[in-house]
Amino acid sequence: MFGAFRVTNSLSGGLLWKIPWRLSPTQKYRQRQRLKAVDNVVETLSKALAKKGETLQALERWKAEMPTEAEMLPKDKYTMFDRKEKRYRKGIHKLPKWTRVSQRLNPPGY
Amino acid sequence: MSYFRITLNRSAIGLPKRTRGVLAALGLHKRMQTVYHPVEAQFAGMIMKVKELVRVAEVDKKLTKWDLHAARKPDPGFYVESTVKRMEGQAPLKAIAAVSAQQKVVEGLTTEGGEEVRL
Repeated sequence: MFGAFRVTNSLSGGLLWKIPWRLSPTQKYRQRQRLKAVDNVVETLSKALAKKGETLQALERWKAEMPTEAEMLPKDKYTMFDRKEKRYRKGIHKLPKWTRVSQRLNPPGY
Repeated sequence: MSYFRITLNRSAIGLPKRTRGVLAALGLHKRMQTVYHPVEAQFAGMIMKVKELVRVAEVDKKLTKWDLHAARKPDPGFYVESTVKRMEGQAPLKAIAAVSAQQKVVEGLTTEGGEEVRL
């Protein structure tokens, strides 16, 4: 039970990488900061172009479709839809490259 | 004329080739590198493609690499109130000549080399 020959997941199965099922409070804080940083970039671009009287389709579309960090529900900030999961939700940190991609929208009702 | 000051904050390692291509087109090759591009829809569109990786600000002036370097330099902790006046090139020689003119030649004494002895 104890000592060098105790049965643990890594000893009996070899290599084991475990991803916790939920984010830690610090991870959630940093996720919010990243969401805000993206909002900031979009706002800077739209303000700078508005001064010149120009606009951009990609920018308009983002502003029309994507909620800002303040508008998002906590559920959407930290979890995302997955059809294979029980109750159709998984932690957003299961998404590959999750700190460098935007994942804000989920299907309505889920 | 105003510019977008774009700093690459997050690396594009492992991201799609198109994303890395956009960064290369913006002239961003390593993290914390800063580039300036004029405020135009063309560049705004490129920034939109990599908005998760960069920090953007609108600025009036384009800073060179050396301006940035100077701005980042820490405070030396002292300042020079006034500089000391440098000596002129001829002044020390004149002083030596004035001193040697005051010296007297001792009669009857010579050095081993045969020169005069001055006091």
